[in-house]
Amino acid sequence: MKAPQFDYVKPASLGEVFSLLEINGDSARLIAGGQTLLATLNMRLSEPKLLIDINGVRGLSGISLQERFLRIGAMTRHSEIEESNLVAQHMPLLAMTAPHVAHKAIRNKGTIGGSIAFADPAAEWPCCAVALDAVIVAASKRGLRRVNAADFFRELYKTDLKADELIVALEFPLQSAATRCIFDEMARRHGDYPIVGLAAVADVSGKTLNQLRLVFLGVGNTPIRARATEAILEGKSLSSELMAAAKSVLAGELTPGADLYNSSEMKIHLAAVLMKRLLEKMTS
Amino acid sequence: MELTGEQIVRAPRQQVWDALNDPIILSRCIPGCEEVKKVSESETHTRVAIKVGPVRARFSGKMFMTDIVVPSSCTITFEGSGGAAGFAKGRSGVTLTDEGAGTKLSYSVEASVGGKLGQIGGRLIDSSAKKMADEFFAAFDSALTGGSLPEAGLTASQKGVTYPISAGPSVTGASLGQSPFAGGGFRHELYRAFWFSFGAAFALLITRFLG
Repeated sequence: MKAPQFDYVKPASLGEVFSLLEINGDSARLIAGGQTLLATLNMRLSEPKLLIDINGVRGLSGISLQERFLRIGAMTRHSEIEESNLVAQHMPLLAMTAPHVAHKAIRNKGTIGGSIAFADPAAEWPCCAVALDAVIVAASKRGLRRVNAADFFRELYKTDLKADELIVALEFPLQSAATRCIFDEMARRHGDYPIVGLAAVADVSGKTLNQLRLVFLGVGNTPIRARATEAILEGKSLSSELMAAAKSVLAGELTPGADLYNSSEMKIHLAAVLMKRLLEKMTS
Repeated sequence: MELTGEQIVRAPRQQVWDALNDPIILSRCIPGCEEVKKVSESETHTRVAIKVGPVRARFSGKMFMTDIVVPSSCTITFEGSGGAAGFAKGRSGVTLTDEGAGTKLSYSVEASVGGKLGQIGGRLIDSSAKKMADEFFAAFDSALTGGSLPEAGLTASQKGVTYPISAGPSVTGASLGQSPFAGGGFRHELYRAFWFSFGAAFALLITRFLG
């Protein structure tokens, strides 16, 4: 199927982007990597009158080490994150997660800003952003606004981003030497939308997990942080009894909806399997 | 897909029933409702514009009302088309029971989705439907407890009609206990229009998403 007719503009500055958004409102869509938007247009699930291509706006891309955080520009492609030495060294969770994002060809075009703004319940970057306590930097005519990832993902496909705002960067706070992180997801085929996924971050000493954060994707309309499960594991040495208790708390804490392919029970089961696997790897 | 739920509405049962029969209240509470048009005694057409994430689509549908038990329950059979995106059909049932000073509204929807949205939307059907149901009920509860009514998206055919926004069992000239197909002032027709949009809205929800 082909996309319906639309106008196209490629502004060179953020100021022009803000004016275009203000004039056109909901009948304009921003296009970054286009890996979600183009499919949506081609399937005629959306018929915007105008596409505003932000690939021409400078300063939105790039990975840089700042004093207290790693800054990743919104237009940075998933494959750039995958291949970056700075990311591998300072934010290894992202390096570990990148190969799970769709397929290589999609990663060459798709952007982290697009993934965060779209906020699909099965997306990897929103889950990692919450696990790493990232800050989302949004720009509008009114200036810059910073929002913590924990407060950013509100509802199904709904974030805290206002209609006249654009994500310009993500800021990931630098971690201590003791911090370990791990990510994995389960999908029927590599590259499919995952059924469930888990990003775990903790300071590990021996078999003990401190400052543990467990964030799941695919079990709710937004990334879900399993706080009760974190609490039962916090500061304790991992053993099979503790793991069994944690699984039981997790099953009570998560309330995933069923879909056409997986029941709620299946999703809870897979979440528990992932948790056991990842925590054991983290403490080995 | 199947969706069931319960909501407590903070108003007495008769008031809730009447509000559910009031097309103005209903069409404003259903997210994106644009038109409700009665075509015959038993059939009503509606059009709703849906927004979920980047998806924007118009869904046109028909509904048929049956098994009406005033002021307790009703069954609606619906079918609708979202153009290139796909189509849906199903039935929904709504039951009202007293719950303290308010009303418990129980609903169940069974629907099947075909076309592109059925193929690619499978993993999001239930959560989208639930989200729109939640939006509807938040607006509905607010309308009944004196909160502000969302902006109207009614067509001229509705705006030209005057009828009371009822707060009580006050339909003049028709007994609510009789068959709704008898006599039939405009009120009864709009009465059905609501149930229709209600059912159509659920069908709409489930036909709007990305895979």
